[in-house]
Amino acid sequence: MKKIWLALALILFIVGCGTQNENLAKGKELIKSDKRRKEERAVREFKLALGQQVDSAEAHYLLGFYNSQEFYEPNTAEWQEASITERGKHMFLACQAEQRKYLERLVFETLRDDDLDVQNAALDALKRVYKQDDRKRLLSQLQKAVKSSDNRDRHNAHWILGHLGREDPGTIVPILVKLLEHRRTETRLNAVKALGVVGSEQAIPALAALIESGSAKWKWDREEPEVRQLAVESLGKIGGAAVPELVKIVENKGSSLRVDAIRALAVLGDEKVVVPLLEALKEQSSRDVVIPVN
Amino acid sequence: MQRKIKWFNRSHRSAFIVSLLFVMILGLGCDNQYYDERLKMQVQQLDSDLKDRWSTSGVVVLNTTPNGPADRAQLETGELISYVIAEYPVRSAGDFNSAMKQALDADNNFVLYLKDKPPLRIALRRRGDKMGLSVEGNGSVRVKQIQPGTPAANADIQVGDIVEKIVDERKIYSIGDYKETLGKLSKKQVTFRTSELIGVKIAAVNALGDLGDIRAIEPLVDLFKNSSEFSLRKESMSSLQRLVELSVLNDLFQQFQSADVNQLPADSLQPQQLESAAILGLLTVDRIENTATLKAPFGTQFRHRSEALYQKINEGQLAELAQEYIQIEVEPEQEIRRPCLAILGILKPVSAIDALITVLENPTEIPGIRFQAGLALSQIGEPAVDALIVAFEKGDTSTKDIVASALGGIGGAKARDRLIDALEGSTESAIQLTLVDAIAKIGDAPSIQALERQLQQYQQDDDSGVRIFLDEVFRSLEKKSM
Repeated sequence: MKKIWLALALILFIVGCGTQNENLAKGKELIKSDKRRKEERAVREFKLALGQQVDSAEAHYLLGFYNSQEFYEPNTAEWQEASITERGKHMFLACQAEQRKYLERLVFETLRDDDLDVQNAALDALKRVYKQDDRKRLLSQLQKAVKSSDNRDRHNAHWILGHLGREDPGTIVPILVKLLEHRRTETRLNAVKALGVVGSEQAIPALAALIESGSAKWKWDREEPEVRQLAVESLGKIGGAAVPELVKIVENKGSSLRVDAIRALAVLGDEKVVVPLLEALKEQSSRDVVIPVN
Repeated sequence: MQRKIKWFNRSHRSAFIVSLLFVMILGLGCDNQYYDERLKMQVQQLDSDLKDRWSTSGVVVLNTTPNGPADRAQLETGELISYVIAEYPVRSAGDFNSAMKQALDADNNFVLYLKDKPPLRIALRRRGDKMGLSVEGNGSVRVKQIQPGTPAANADIQVGDIVEKIVDERKIYSIGDYKETLGKLSKKQVTFRTSELIGVKIAAVNALGDLGDIRAIEPLVDLFKNSSEFSLRKESMSSLQRLVELSVLNDLFQQFQSADVNQLPADSLQPQQLESAAILGLLTVDRIENTATLKAPFGTQFRHRSEALYQKINEGQLAELAQEYIQIEVEPEQEIRRPCLAILGILKPVSAIDALITVLENPTEIPGIRFQAGLALSQIGEPAVDALIVAFEKGDTSTKDIVASALGGIGGAKARDRLIDALEGSTESAIQLTLVDAIAKIGDAPSIQALERQLQQYQQDDDSGVRIFLDEVFRSLEKKSM
């Protein structure tokens, strides 16, 4: 009985390889080659591969990765199929078929690509994963990336978390706030940046606490200056409800971030800041003050 | 041994824990603020990175108790105390030695005051180095001896100089420093040196220029007139220029405001204003969709403020100010004269024509600024033509050159005829190219005819600069008519 099963599996595997990979393999060969218009030709092969086997994870992924609108006449059906959303959809389908492999690949490999369209397609795919698939796994991969020792991964993870947070701040903001305690400065830096991308009011108290830590008595209680500067920028991106917090920084004469706060407020154009700015102009010039003591 | 451990365990464990807790509570209690009982004021630690970012250290005054010593000395909330200054009067050799010892205690430098001489800042290379100065006398202390090769020998000190006092400036880095220094120094009085954060003021000035709010105008004018800091004055004038630039877009913003929308068809708006607003980043224009959309948040907010700003700017105070400060005799800094000229170019006050002509004619003024004055006059336009023609008649070559350009920019029959006369009179060969350029810019039928006459005159002369330039002018005119 066991032998029969093994034989059957082997047959299925061979048949599978034969049918599924003919075009796929050809496309992959093309990519590796140095032939003219190799990517355009490879894309054609990936499409054929999907025609034969509609759930081929690799074909979906590669099609999403390589199918550029540059290959087609604008406004044709093929051109539309190569839009960022369509490419993202293919990448997502790859994730659905083989989640473990392609989720990791998207986060740690695809996002590193120099092509902005590829990055945006990956963002689209990951947003779909977040909405329709294993959200928990995605978040754990992103947290792993933002804690990574590689700057590219940290940067990419902040970008994705920021975008996911725009749609679901209730889940993402607490994750990012927790990351503000991470021991690696760069991780905290990216968490702060992501909170700016999210732009949610929920992040204001955490960012304010970071900013205020600059005058703490003990060194270990003080956040690094560059993280605090970015926190001010992020408050600026949040805008609206963050204006009072930014005004508070301008009014705190011992703060090192007053200039940053003023710049952020100037961009927001909120007229509430005019009075604190006028007050700042009235501050005393440098002088000697003699105080007699009884 | 075991007994000892047991002894510790039994009787001292609780004492140890209590003292540990006490130390912890003490640590927690030491926050970043401190109330100075003697001066009756509260100070706070500055952000530690201010030192690196703004080269400023010290403590900030949080508040002063009314009628306390600090309050009576008019130390203000928000001032940054960067130095505590100790003064040691010298009335005997003993005074001198003890003062030196104290002054060199924390750092290696101090300021020496000698009678009838400017203060001397003396720095020792290393702690413990000799200053190389000995003194004598009582009541009036004189320099007795100076050792060669010491800091004293390198400074401007002569034997016989009278020593008045030694002043020690101690930099404050933290609350701890503040407490320690104040404890050591000053029994009868305390002198603080405060620091102004110019960077903050400059940022505030720039932001006020960007916000387009009417309330900023008077304070910026005040700061410009009264500050002794060049960078602040310069930025104040640039911000005022920005406010003027914003104010002239009022018509455009009123169209949005009266319709109470943030988007209008682009072709319903005046093209020049639309372009300026797009350059200033206030709106985006989509030619394909034919839309002009105010940019949030600033553009959308500014439409509510633009009318008030426009009214205020057009009261005339700013034009008067700018008119005064374009004169090199009044304002020696060219970086301030420039924005003043720009403001006049935008506001176009007829009353500024004479002042602008004076700048344009001034041979001691920088050529670029003279040219900018010409530009402002051409922006004023028709009312400036007569004054420009007078300046042309009596001016030297460089004045004529600038005036010709300005007249070309204004156009009109009067300006054109004078330019053609000048070109055909052949007395102005040095500015021939400018004349051709100015006439081409006017570009009406008599102008083109005049240029054609010139071309005929230079028919045989292939290599002359005028001929090459004329060919170029006609080529570009042809292109335009195509």
